Amino acid sequence: MQRGVPDPTEDFEELRRLLLSREREQLRDLSDRLSDKQRRSRDIASVLPEAVKMSRERGEQLTQALRPAVEVSFKQSIDQRPQLFVDALHPLIGPIVRKSVAETLRRLLQSFNQTLEHTFSWRGLKWRWEALRTGRSFAEVVMLRSLVYRVEQLFLIHRETSLSLLHVSADATLSKDSDMVAGMLSAIQDFARDSFSTGEDSNLEEFRVGELQVWIAPGRHAYLAAVIRGNPSLELRPTLEETIETVHVLKGSALAEFKGDAAAFESLRPELESCLRAQYAPVKKEGKSTRAWIVIILIAALATAGLILWFRNHSKWKDFLHRLRAQPGLVVTEARKGWFGRAEVRGLRDASAPDPAAIAREANVDPARIRFHWNDFLALDPASVRRRFEQRFPVPEQTRVGINNGVLEIAGSVPYEWLERVRREATLIPGVKSVVETGANIIYDPELARKRFEQQLGLLDTVNAVVANGVLTLTGEASHRWLLRARAAATTLPGITSLNDHVVDLDQRAFDQSKSIIESAFVYFLTDKDDIATEGFAALSRLPDEIRRCEKAAKQIGTDVTLEIHGYADAVGTESRNADLRQRRANKVRDFLVSCGFEPARLKPIGAEQPFKPAPGDKATPEQAQRRVAFKVVAQPSTPAP
Amino acid sequence: MIQKKICLIGASGVGKTSLIAKFVHSMFSDKYLTTVGVKIDKKTVSVDGAEVMLMIWDLEGDDEYQRLQTSYLRGTSGYLLVADGTRQITLDQAIEIQGRVAAATGPVPFLLALNKSDLASQWEIDQSRMDDLTARGWKPFQTSAKEGAGVEEAFVELSRQMIHPH
Repeated sequence: MQRGVPDPTEDFEELRRLLLSREREQLRDLSDRLSDKQRRSRDIASVLPEAVKMSRERGEQLTQALRPAVEVSFKQSIDQRPQLFVDALHPLIGPIVRKSVAETLRRLLQSFNQTLEHTFSWRGLKWRWEALRTGRSFAEVVMLRSLVYRVEQLFLIHRETSLSLLHVSADATLSKDSDMVAGMLSAIQDFARDSFSTGEDSNLEEFRVGELQVWIAPGRHAYLAAVIRGNPSLELRPTLEETIETVHVLKGSALAEFKGDAAAFESLRPELESCLRAQYAPVKKEGKSTRAWIVIILIAALATAGLILWFRNHSKWKDFLHRLRAQPGLVVTEARKGWFGRAEVRGLRDASAPDPAAIAREANVDPARIRFHWNDFLALDPASVRRRFEQRFPVPEQTRVGINNGVLEIAGSVPYEWLERVRREATLIPGVKSVVETGANIIYDPELARKRFEQQLGLLDTVNAVVANGVLTLTGEASHRWLLRARAAATTLPGITSLNDHVVDLDQRAFDQSKSIIESAFVYFLTDKDDIATEGFAALSRLPDEIRRCEKAAKQIGTDVTLEIHGYADAVGTESRNADLRQRRANKVRDFLVSCGFEPARLKPIGAEQPFKPAPGDKATPEQAQRRVAFKVVAQPSTPAP
Repeated sequence: MIQKKICLIGASGVGKTSLIAKFVHSMFSDKYLTTVGVKIDKKTVSVDGAEVMLMIWDLEGDDEYQRLQTSYLRGTSGYLLVADGTRQITLDQAIEIQGRVAAATGPVPFLLALNKSDLASQWEIDQSRMDDLTARGWKPFQTSAKEGAGVEEAFVELSRQMIHPH
């Protein structure tokens, strides 16, 4: 069997397959890894941390390349999800803020306590004088003099470059240019080291200048320089050392790679500020503290007393104004009261209004400390009108008075005299239009009623008048005319409802007496004649005067008198003759009386038809008894003159 | 703001202190130079829009009586080497000092300031010397403490080199 000539191309392929099969596998695998996105990501993830680390070691290029993207991403995250950052930063910022605030408060309180403790002591006075002399504040002098030590400034200085990383100060005015001070501090340390050849690792740990000391707490990359006034306690150094250690813990890498930008160390401020400590000399408990407390308590007591006094005065003043404003007839337009000087009250005052000074006294306010300015006005409110009425008409105890729409209403027991005056004059009072006395029980004073009677009738000594229970009792004697007037007027007078009249009518009595005398007089005639017997002349001569008296008395009692002249005759002779004789005898007497001037019309001669009946005790003889003329006075009410 | 420490170095009498006197914020007197051997001043310059605060360590002049305290150079980000253009010897001294400084600080940026440029008639640094300096890779600045010429520029240039090292 013959084998054919082998194909060189195939051989070459076979050869390549045998020689490069492993590389082919690797190429395929690499191709797969490159085309598989997930595998490629996994590969990059495994080398990325190392790559980043190497990149940082080579320079800032990666940082600069990433910065824009990171900044934009960061800003977007803050814009879209601010709460996420708040939550993340809260645990970090919260304690820093609290620590800072607490530290500030502590220093403030300490400074205040120092000032307070020394304010009232003898030493405090000396320091006050020093403050005046030096132009410093008292608090500053107190602080300086009572200070044991105070960390006034703290520098965090980069060891390699001597640049100031952070500077904090207890007092902003103390800060000079911290950068240059930091530099010089480093220079001084270098100077000391070089001058005394102490070696690179040696440090200038502290130096003193006057009242100031500078303590240095070294660290690997940075050191703290504390500027301290006074003599610090030993425990300060560990504090400074702990702080510089903390600084290195928190910012170790930043310190190692410091290129001049100190902004990254600003976050260390709270740590540094916590080192700004101060310690003051302890104050003896007794003495100053006690005095201070006494003074404080005294001031507090005075302030409290002043406050109470003010409050009391203010309350009284308010009460006074309240009372003043509540008074009808007073209108307060302005009231002012200051701490000092006299208070002022302005307004309107009705004449009937009560005295404002009296109101002030009622409210326990001294009226002498108030200046009143009142303008007159007429108040028409019911209370003011009533007060105005009461001032003019003091209201009796049992009487009730009210004002309603200008109508004065009177009720209760009302004395007549008071009421009478009110009736006459009440409407003259501004605000009173009319008076109503519905339901008023008018009370009359008997004595005043009697006086009214006396005033009305005129006083008579002969008459006694008494009023009791409305009854006027009159006793004594009086003229008929007066009696008539009294009887007519008595019951018309207020307070007299009836009259009990026991007065003797003098005119009536005079009339009755005259009448009796006339009617008891006899004129005797001679037997069977109309001639007047001798004993008859005596009686006849007295008759004219008596008749005139009678007429006068009759006139006083308002009557007219007619005198009947009765002629009598004895039974001797005939009746017709005797009848004639009786008439003639009567005519004889009438003629005599006419001759005496009496009016004939008032004389009536009558021949008596009946024999004369002698009265018991008549002294005439039976013969004489019928030979007479007797008289009868007839009274008739007088007719008024035409 | 970025802070940078720089040192001002040169032989005695080259006018280092005068050079910066008008341009810096100072709180320490010149007597520090003779006591501590250094005086620190501050100056802020603007480099490409960024503010840089320079802490300038003015070191006492180096001469036969007073050697430079190299410990003051520690941590410096750069230094200004000052020579007096009217005294060629100070340039020689500056070159010598630079060697010592470079040994202490390592490779940090520095500038040579040839001071007293206002005294042109007394100028001793000729062109061949300048070429020599250029050949060393130095870029000398001619400054005048009296007239203020070139001082600001020298500080700005030094700051730029510190911030953007080649």
